[in-house]
Amino acid sequence: MMRPATRGVLILLTVALNGWSWLEGGAPTPGFVTPARIPSTGAAPLFHDEFINPDSPHQVSHVASISELPDGSLVTTWYAGSREGARDVAIYMSTRAPADARWSPPRAIVTPESAARDLNRAIKKVGNAVIFADSGRLWLIYVTVSIGGWSGSSLNLTISTDEGLTWTPSQRLTLSPFFNIAELVKNAPVALSDGGWAVPIYHELAGRFPEVLWLRERMGEIRATKSRMSAGWFGYQPALTPLTANRALALLRDDGVGKAVSVARTEDAGHTWSPPQPLDLPNPDSGLDAISLTDRRLLLAFNDSAKGRENLRLAMSADEGRTWARVATLAEEPGADFSYPFLMQTRNGDVHIVYTWKRKAIKHIVFNAAWLDARRTDTTQ
Amino acid sequence: MNLHAVTEWLSAVCPWLVLVLCLQRAVGWRGWTLRGWGLLLWPGAIALGVLLLPIKGIVIARWVAGISANVSIPFAGMLAVAVWERAFRRRVFSLRDWDAGWSFGAISGLALYPLALGVGSVDPYEWGWRFSPLFVVMGALTGWLIWKQSWFGCLLLLAVIAFHLRLLESSNYWDYLLDPIYSLVSFIAVGRRLAAHVRGGVWLPRGAP
Repeated sequence: MMRPATRGVLILLTVALNGWSWLEGGAPTPGFVTPARIPSTGAAPLFHDEFINPDSPHQVSHVASISELPDGSLVTTWYAGSREGARDVAIYMSTRAPADARWSPPRAIVTPESAARDLNRAIKKVGNAVIFADSGRLWLIYVTVSIGGWSGSSLNLTISTDEGLTWTPSQRLTLSPFFNIAELVKNAPVALSDGGWAVPIYHELAGRFPEVLWLRERMGEIRATKSRMSAGWFGYQPALTPLTANRALALLRDDGVGKAVSVARTEDAGHTWSPPQPLDLPNPDSGLDAISLTDRRLLLAFNDSAKGRENLRLAMSADEGRTWARVATLAEEPGADFSYPFLMQTRNGDVHIVYTWKRKAIKHIVFNAAWLDARRTDTTQ
Repeated sequence: MNLHAVTEWLSAVCPWLVLVLCLQRAVGWRGWTLRGWGLLLWPGAIALGVLLLPIKGIVIARWVAGISANVSIPFAGMLAVAVWERAFRRRVFSLRDWDAGWSFGAISGLALYPLALGVGSVDPYEWGWRFSPLFVVMGALTGWLIWKQSWFGCLLLLAVIAFHLRLLESSNYWDYLLDPIYSLVSFIAVGRRLAAHVRGGVWLPRGAP
């Protein structure tokens, strides 16, 4: 039996502790950081393509990402191994300084063993990874699986302050109440005005749906929360594309019967989203990516087919994603697989894309707005 | 011991308590006359030894954490009560306390998991990261249970204390209140209780002496 005074104290404690979060208050809602507008300079068209890992000893290379370091160097990551989901798959990194002619030899930065050591738990395999940079750090979010297939994925974060030479011990991000599984990442984050990040992620268990992972630093600690982008079961792997500080769109991969790229929109910096609407662009249940260019046009890289990944095309929109025009074919070959594009525009205005080339290698293409414009005039819209 | 280590040890509490409970039941089946501290310490030591066995360089406790790293405080507390009651043959929780615990696990599980896994556009899991109706409901429920002299209310109070101390890997309040295994066991317990009620009998929970 509890005495009335004891009960009173415990009830006061209950009220105080449950009300404490209210007293802490919510931080002001940060907006998206949009790329600075860069006027066209009349530069000559630029187009260059190359393999990042041409001599890869692995049977499979997949899910590449790319980022720019403060000195203009490029850094890419991807995973490679004997097959997707194999225990020998590791996450590799390669860099290229502005003066370098070639990419550095790939270096494994996360293996199942290193992840198991960092997280102090069994890790069966590693998967999708996305790298991104702020003014002085490289961030890597990557997938690990302890049990089962990709539905058993959890997300982890590690940071490098020496341009990828060394990494902090990985931190597990708890994002789901159900054994913290079924959370994956594919596309690039968008910087927030308070220094945080909005990372497009997705849930994949019974159904598939897009989400936003919010990363914020608070008193030296990185806090991870998430919010749902949309309900439904078929739209996932969002590509988050800011239009203004509060407005953005998310283009979604489709594994439903519609077989079309769909788009969801936000007017309040990602906190609420419109229901996804299909676009007049096909999607064969394959990854895509989109970015806001510095001239405010939107650029989309996607498999332009409802059936397979035999081509990789670029489309552009000048009206905030309402209509799209195909502008270029980056790869096309019957029976081949060109997939998982990842786009980035560097500070000098060049656009970079990395993608999976026939599952064997990672291809890197760089072009500029002049090349895009030249292609656009060549292409039937 | 830093907070990270505390978090890792706490993730092993539920597996340890489950193992202790199983060993206590095994002792009962074998007809051994172990009681009191003996029935607490011996199974506790054996369970600890098992969980510290390394497999491929990782102790079993951390293998379990690979599947479920966040143990809810109420479930851990209920397991601890069951272990204590079985060892000392003394009732700590009344039948009403057990009912409150299983009902909370079942109802909150029903409210959380389907929505968090994608049914509908609302994700109540988001409520656990910032002040939200979850905190209001839990404050009211915990206060009411304590006023009604329910020991389960004290477990809910421990959960919010643990949340503020960030004793689990998660920073989400839901993970301090609930976990899928607790919810599953609660569904089974509530189902058995209802079935017994329908048959006109009374079913006592396993932890009850």
